[in-house]
Amino acid sequence: MREHVGKSSKLFNGFTSIMRRFIFKVLCVGPIPNHISFIMDGNRRFAKKHNLQGPDAGHRAGFVSVTYVLQYCQEIGVPYVTLYAFGIDNFKREPEEVKCMMDLMLEKIELTIDQAISGNLKDLKVIFAGDLNLLNERLKVAAQSLMELTEQNRGLVAVVIVAYSTSHEIVQAIRESCVRKCVDGDSPLVLEMSDVEECMYTSIVPDPDLVIRSGGIDRLSNFMTWQSSRSLLHTTAALWPELGLWHLVWAILKFQRMHDYLQKKKKQKLD
Amino acid sequence: MDFNDPMLALSSWIGQVSFLIGDFGLGLLWRFIHIVVTLCHIVSGIFEAVESYAISLGLIQKYSSIDIEKLKCLAVVVDIEAARDVSKVVELLQWLTTIGVKQVGLFDSQGLLKKSKDMILEMVPRSVLLQETGEKDTSGIALEFISSSDNKEAVVKAANILFQKYLKSRHPGKDEGENVFTETHLNEALRVVGESVHVPDLLLVYGPVRSHLGFPAWRLRYTEIVHMGSLKYMRYGSLLKAIHKFTGVRQNYGV
Repeated sequence: MREHVGKSSKLFNGFTSIMRRFIFKVLCVGPIPNHISFIMDGNRRFAKKHNLQGPDAGHRAGFVSVTYVLQYCQEIGVPYVTLYAFGIDNFKREPEEVKCMMDLMLEKIELTIDQAISGNLKDLKVIFAGDLNLLNERLKVAAQSLMELTEQNRGLVAVVIVAYSTSHEIVQAIRESCVRKCVDGDSPLVLEMSDVEECMYTSIVPDPDLVIRSGGIDRLSNFMTWQSSRSLLHTTAALWPELGLWHLVWAILKFQRMHDYLQKKKKQKLD
Repeated sequence: MDFNDPMLALSSWIGQVSFLIGDFGLGLLWRFIHIVVTLCHIVSGIFEAVESYAISLGLIQKYSSIDIEKLKCLAVVVDIEAARDVSKVVELLQWLTTIGVKQVGLFDSQGLLKKSKDMILEMVPRSVLLQETGEKDTSGIALEFISSSDNKEAVVKAANILFQKYLKSRHPGKDEGENVFTETHLNEALRVVGESVHVPDLLLVYGPVRSHLGFPAWRLRYTEIVHMGSLKYMRYGSLLKAIHKFTGVRQNYGV
């Protein structure tokens, strides 16, 4: 009986996988965003909604969504994905919750390291961006290890944004560019826009084409406001752990509808 | 002649035709899906229009009173094409004045509204430039005109002020110098270069897509961003609804 159920389950998974790939094949007839950013909001509300116990219960459910979203983006062929995992303002939460989130991040990074070592990451390149000095030493070291392990991968680039806010990023970028100007004795002591932009945490990826926020909130919450001048901002009412295939497909369809206009905006001199 | 050659060619030809039909079929399916999506948007647009008219006529009770005090600073982003029609912008501002909004920042990326500033101030009753009111209470509406030059360029100008402070504060033998790199210092520097640092509570986007189109990034941190559709077909009821929805929002600022 168990064997029969296991076989049916495999068949069903196989069928859904084929259907999903077919849907993506149709989707890929149109333009696909080069970079999608996700503001992963709603984990705590999800935990409350489903009476999950523990301060990190919602975030654990949220991590499952992360794995699916990365898989779907990889299958669609999106080159860059950014995940807003932890903002600087989030440090103001209850210390117990912050500690749980840091521990959970460490656990998941170590799990991903194991997968990278055993070759199960399907060419995924993981980068951590943000003020990593605000993280505890163990987490920082683990993040660094994962980045080094996946550095040579040439598949989907997943940028995990931690200890970040746009205002902090801009100030730190200004600081860093000033220091670099002083060190570089040759150039004139005047900052250009490119000097500041190349010092930003998110300078490693192109500007996002599509920013998706889960949880039904209409704000960017201090996330990539500098980089999203020409991005389509999409909000979905689904809480992050509820975000699935159809939410992603709907957002990309919306992007495709507006693609010509967004391209026109990119060509116009906005900045 | 090898019997397999024509078979291989036929097999390859069938493969190519199947491939082409497959691509053509996929393309048709994609277009069909987009037609369905567009129809969904049209239907939802019709419902929104009906709701908006009902709100304008006062038929929906909950929109009849708005706690406008919660909305300290409103910003409006207007697409460039729409910004050329100043009369619609003036109409919008008149609506906002009626609702009781006290401070509005008007943004378009190329500064067309800035160029029409005098005309707008003349045509909108009891309107003044925000810089001229300061913190004074006004019975009318204080307007601010913003463009892309107030975004990244302004931050770079402010950054150069901080750079000069940093250079002056560096001591021999001590590389770091005074810490002039804080958000407070950047706010001050932005004020020095003539920029406002008011953070809008609500940003209304009038254009084809929900995008802030280069509104000053430094000011956009916790702003609610609402897409209002085309300025040409703007509706008073939709405006009331957006403002009413904002007044019900509770922010936790990441905490």
